[in-house]
Amino acid sequence: MHTDNEQDTLPLVPKGIAAEAGGTGPVLIGGHCPHCRRDFFPRPRYCPGCMRPPQERLLSGDGVIYSYTVVRIRPPLGLPQPYAVGFVDLNQSGLRIFGLLNHGDIDRLAIGKRVRLKLGPLGQDGGGQACMRPYFSLVAAEGDDD
Amino acid sequence: MTKPVVAGVGMIPFAKYPQRTLVDLGAEAAFLALQDANVAPGRVEAGFFANAVGSRLFGDSTIGQNVLWEVGVNRVPVINVENACTSGSTAFYLACNAVAAGQAEMALVVGAEKMCVPEFGLINSGESEWDTQLGLVAPASFALRAQRHMLEHGTTVEQMAQVAVKNRAHAAGNPMAMFREPITVEQVLAAPMIVDPLTRLQCCPIADGAAALVVCSEEMARGLGSAAVRVEAVVLGTGGYESPQDLARWETDFRVCAQAYEKAGLGPEDLDLVECHDAFTISEILHYEALGLCPPGDGGRFVEQGHATLGGRVPVNPSGGLLSRGHPVGATGVAQVMEVVSQLRGQAGPRQINGARIGLAHCMGGDKAGDTKSCTVAILGI
Repeated sequence: MHTDNEQDTLPLVPKGIAAEAGGTGPVLIGGHCPHCRRDFFPRPRYCPGCMRPPQERLLSGDGVIYSYTVVRIRPPLGLPQPYAVGFVDLNQSGLRIFGLLNHGDIDRLAIGKRVRLKLGPLGQDGGGQACMRPYFSLVAAEGDDD
Repeated sequence: MTKPVVAGVGMIPFAKYPQRTLVDLGAEAAFLALQDANVAPGRVEAGFFANAVGSRLFGDSTIGQNVLWEVGVNRVPVINVENACTSGSTAFYLACNAVAAGQAEMALVVGAEKMCVPEFGLINSGESEWDTQLGLVAPASFALRAQRHMLEHGTTVEQMAQVAVKNRAHAAGNPMAMFREPITVEQVLAAPMIVDPLTRLQCCPIADGAAALVVCSEEMARGLGSAAVRVEAVVLGTGGYESPQDLARWETDFRVCAQAYEKAGLGPEDLDLVECHDAFTISEILHYEALGLCPPGDGGRFVEQGHATLGGRVPVNPSGGLLSRGHPVGATGVAQVMEVVSQLRGQAGPRQINGARIGLAHCMGGDKAGDTKSCTVAILGI
């Protein structure tokens, strides 16, 4: 177990795709092209529609499970065995993005369930050191964070 | 533009070859293809060598020159091709284009892979990709598609298992296949769960192996006396990578298949057989739909009703497919074309489809943003 202090010092893997945003909880770091009115995750260097550089846009990590699966074989990256992944439809941006799902939720996962982004210690980085990762966690049906 | 033909084929059985090198495997397949075409290596004007993981596993590079030198092909352009699971079919695509454009009258395509080594692990879409860093492995991509297909179309795990059972039954007639013992739906479903709902027998096995093709102009083929098979169309497409992707209806798959039919002036009703990229059981079901063998959503019922079985409406993967032949990545796309050629020549032995005139080879590779990195379709005729 890590104390909060230790967690603060762990690196986030992968770099630059999520961040804590104060009171609203973690967000995904995406991009937005005002010209094409398109959102992206992650943020590309150029908008593929018009080749202008997209602005940074912080994307809400609230969404709904579009599909999920449980990986039961020996996991890569020091992830738990088993671990879960899925595609999540983000409520605000409409993007459908791949991500880790909370392995504590494995027995309760279902398509259509609501999830929220979290950042926490999860697995190891390429050098075998403990690290933080973004993952989606089930939200209680009433809308309260569990 | 001259029409390319396949004038020679060769492969070694897909298996584990711990004592042999990658170059050795590739050279034997190349030798067999040249021998089958009845040509001397000096007539080959370009070489295309496909390999996907040799650089990662062994630190090797520009392997094609080593392989082709072993069979007397030198001094000519040699291109090394890496395009994930479509490495071999991409090499074939490039060779056909070179012949069609008149850049080479004869080209040699070799696909080879040696991957049965300790700690190979799982295929992913690149170690430094952000989704790989979040635990995306190849079987998970397809499990996520399976979950959607089951939800939207009522596809069952038994129907998916039928793909593995059928392809294993087909492999019984193919001495090149790695696994030839029959299996049952019950065995497939009772196998260890890899990634829900895909069990181990629903995931293609890694293998070592090599396959090769001699591609040349129709004019040159006439002088060789071997049974040449026409390439009616060969196309390669990549994904759009836009969000949201529909995981149950693969836009890139549909689009590339449609391009191939249009270019060949043929349709799914013309096909006597299909070799497709059954990396996982659900993959083959998705490809039935993209290829227009059945309406979208009906792939599970299509295999259940026996339409894809030898003797059925359109036999799919008469070779046993990746699921039973094994999947030495760089060799697979070449072996698929070889199976189609063997069927059209009437040389497929106990798995021969009588009177086959038109066949299709379909391959897919890599993963990006819920889409494929590469999809190839070749339609061949005799």
